[in-house]
Amino acid sequence: MPAVQETIDQVRQIDVDQYKYGFETTIEMEKAPKGLSEEIIRFISAKKSEPEWMLEWRLDAYRRWLTLEEPTWARVDYPKIDFNDLYYYAAPKNQSGPMSIDDVDPEILKTYEKLGIPLREQEILAGVQTSKIAVDAVFDSVSVVTTFKEELKKAGVIFMSISEAIREYPELVKKYLGSVVPTTDNFYATLNSAVFTDGSFVFVPKGVRCPMELSTYFRINEKNTGQFERTLIIAEEGAYVSYLEGCTAPQRDENQLHAAVVELVAMDDAEIKYSTVQNWYPGDKEGKGGIYNFVTKRGDCRGKNSKISWTQVETGSAITWKYPSCVLRGDGSRGEFYSIAVSNGHQQIDSGTKMIHLGKNTSSRIISKGIAAGVSQNTYRGQVSTHRKAENARNFTQCDSLLIGDRCGAHTVPYIEAKNSSAQFEHEATTSKISEDQLFYCLQRGIPEEAAIALIVNGFVKEVIQELPMEFAVEAQKLISISLEGSVG
Amino acid sequence: MNIQAGIKLTAAEAALVESYNEQVGELPGDGATLLARDTLLSDLKEAGLPTRRVEAWHYTDLKALLKSVPAFLHGASAQRVEPIVPGSTVLSVVNGKAHTRLLPEGITAKSYADTLLDGSAAAGLVARDADDVIGRINGSFVRDGLIVEIAEGAAFEAPIEIQSVQNCGQVNTRFPVRFGAGAKATVIERHLATGEDAALVTSVTDMRLADDAEVTWIIFQSEGEADTHLAQFKAELGANAKLRLYVINGGGKLVRQEIHIAVAGEGSDLTLRGINLLGGESHTDVTFTVGHDVPHTTSTEVIRNVVLDRARGVFQGQIRVAQDAQKTDAKMSCNTLLLSDDAEFSAKPELEIFADDVQCGHGATVIDIDHTQLFYLMARGVPENKARAMLVNAFVAEIVEELEDETLVEALEGVISDWLEKHA
Repeated sequence: MPAVQETIDQVRQIDVDQYKYGFETTIEMEKAPKGLSEEIIRFISAKKSEPEWMLEWRLDAYRRWLTLEEPTWARVDYPKIDFNDLYYYAAPKNQSGPMSIDDVDPEILKTYEKLGIPLREQEILAGVQTSKIAVDAVFDSVSVVTTFKEELKKAGVIFMSISEAIREYPELVKKYLGSVVPTTDNFYATLNSAVFTDGSFVFVPKGVRCPMELSTYFRINEKNTGQFERTLIIAEEGAYVSYLEGCTAPQRDENQLHAAVVELVAMDDAEIKYSTVQNWYPGDKEGKGGIYNFVTKRGDCRGKNSKISWTQVETGSAITWKYPSCVLRGDGSRGEFYSIAVSNGHQQIDSGTKMIHLGKNTSSRIISKGIAAGVSQNTYRGQVSTHRKAENARNFTQCDSLLIGDRCGAHTVPYIEAKNSSAQFEHEATTSKISEDQLFYCLQRGIPEEAAIALIVNGFVKEVIQELPMEFAVEAQKLISISLEGSVG
Repeated sequence: MNIQAGIKLTAAEAALVESYNEQVGELPGDGATLLARDTLLSDLKEAGLPTRRVEAWHYTDLKALLKSVPAFLHGASAQRVEPIVPGSTVLSVVNGKAHTRLLPEGITAKSYADTLLDGSAAAGLVARDADDVIGRINGSFVRDGLIVEIAEGAAFEAPIEIQSVQNCGQVNTRFPVRFGAGAKATVIERHLATGEDAALVTSVTDMRLADDAEVTWIIFQSEGEADTHLAQFKAELGANAKLRLYVINGGGKLVRQEIHIAVAGEGSDLTLRGINLLGGESHTDVTFTVGHDVPHTTSTEVIRNVVLDRARGVFQGQIRVAQDAQKTDAKMSCNTLLLSDDAEFSAKPELEIFADDVQCGHGATVIDIDHTQLFYLMARGVPENKARAMLVNAFVAEIVEELEDETLVEALEGVISDWLEKHA
């Protein structure tokens, strides 16, 4: 396809003008000294007024981390990270934890306003249909505000920052923290266990259907800081919760590290739906700056007939290393993974899932759509395995990749491991470019090329978008078209 | 070479090093050849045998699986056997020693040992990459093999069977094969054991197809139940060349068959068909990579696996499409019938795509026998075990039937049904 001037201009602007969340909030911050040591961990723990066992847990993880090596098997390439050249704790001054919205620094409130995140509990106006979303806003290393807490409490749902939960519900946290992703799990998860600063805690008691969508919004603001979030969601027997996660960061020339751990636990008949729209700063057109996103997300379908569903739209980050997984332990449990991963510019994505079938009659479904443009590399890496005793395990996997431009790469690396003869695994993958026929058909009807491509891409990702909560679906769709803008040529 | 203090070698690693020290005086070739061997062995010793952590060996932890290494035996006494297809031209390597004989016009075969002796083989004694353990072991120990050349435009009515047979001990062979432009041939590369004692067999086939050559190459491996078989098949295809490669595994205790194909000429085409018949306590790994480096090339791969008893099977397949290889069409599928709860199968079908105007896909399934099909047969009075056998047979025989040559199809079908009868 010949490039028109308009397209060339757009390509030139790519990644610089498009990242609309790249602004910085000027605010006085309190930081821990640079570097990582037991002192820093003690500092973080003290800042959060944590009980002694929590500090021990962290230190234990830290000592183990010192013995681990950074994994190199992913198809991502980046200069070595100096873990001692980072700030592990940065919080707005006078804010060491969530407080009433009226006490929060107006600069921070302005930031979230700009990002379009509602922090005030707006009343639903008569005649206007807007659904409520409870938000936990995490700014660098602290949660600044959590909305609708009272209303959720009435329903029995606990939704608060994890730092608060450690203080208020230590028994619950102690019981579940690290039970899905142990501190020994992997390099980044172990690092996170040592230094995590904030994140959300959700507990939905037996038989409760969470009355509204829960959401956490992560914002990295400070320079040279790493963000280490830790989220823990527990759905007791028969409970249901839908949780959304969003993230952005300012535009900076240096890379920043984000290493999160998310643990989900679903008991008998419970269902957890976890959706992510990941839009960390991806770096500029030269590949300078951007977030290194090393994330361990795992759900444990601990109970019978439980269900965990991961939906992710990945458009940001310079490097993404992320494999939301399901451990299908309970008989009849079900895991789902829906993913759209869009890479442009110099982005590198190595993402996918793991479905580990342990119980009987478990099933899983994987739909992954990768779109690569620019000079990016986009890899799907996924594992489906059955245990010897996991009778009647079912899996269906489909991963499709779309390539836009001839300087990018799309890769598929599935690992399929069957140890039981009653397993039925089906896997299919395709890689192609936008069909010329489809494009021609649109152009011929007067749809401009950019719009036609957006249309075709939207069709390509539809299956996944449908899985997102409505408010997010619209946002995600916009995000994908922004990410791909100017990639034709 | 002595074992360095501080490096802990496994029993098999130590045995390899020791075996090399014992044999090195009598291995053919000195000077450049010996230097190349020494380098490969010291690399092997340094890196050790691969574990799961080496991605290319993820499902075959050779360090753990290779428990011992049989010694090289001077008095091995296997005899050549009848070819699979009657009337084939037979070239044989017996107990690791090549036998050349009068051949039909258009084909020549020379002893590989001669090129080790004169040093001309030295340049080829290198590992493909840092994970190429087969290349290292084979290159260190190789004693003989056959250099086969098929003349330009040559065509043959009967298949050519390259037979490597042994009864025990160590056999390390190489087969450099060249097909001239426009040559057409069917070749059966056959590895088998006639004894029950353990053997370690390594084999490297290195093939070049000149432009327009059309070759059907069948690898049939039926080593003994105690044998380790580590083989590598490498091929480079010229413009418009066509390679139809069949790989049938029906033996061995620990088997790794690597296949590395460069579809390097425009218009070239690769067809790979694999049949893995796995039973007993065997571990069989077929690892395949195809590189599409130029525009307008095609490849299709179909792998069928039947896994019984306590057998473990592995298929790793990688389709790589280079940036300039536009209009590539590549399809890969891997279907497994897992017939025992103690059996295992792992598949890793990979796509690595750097060009945008391509059609690439892969599919993988792991299933049990289709119960509706079974019911259908049983409803017609076929007893269950027979119905099962029919369905299993159909699952793999389908692939063989794609070959046009009827005597060849018959011979291979015979090989498959023999195996199924013996193991079912």
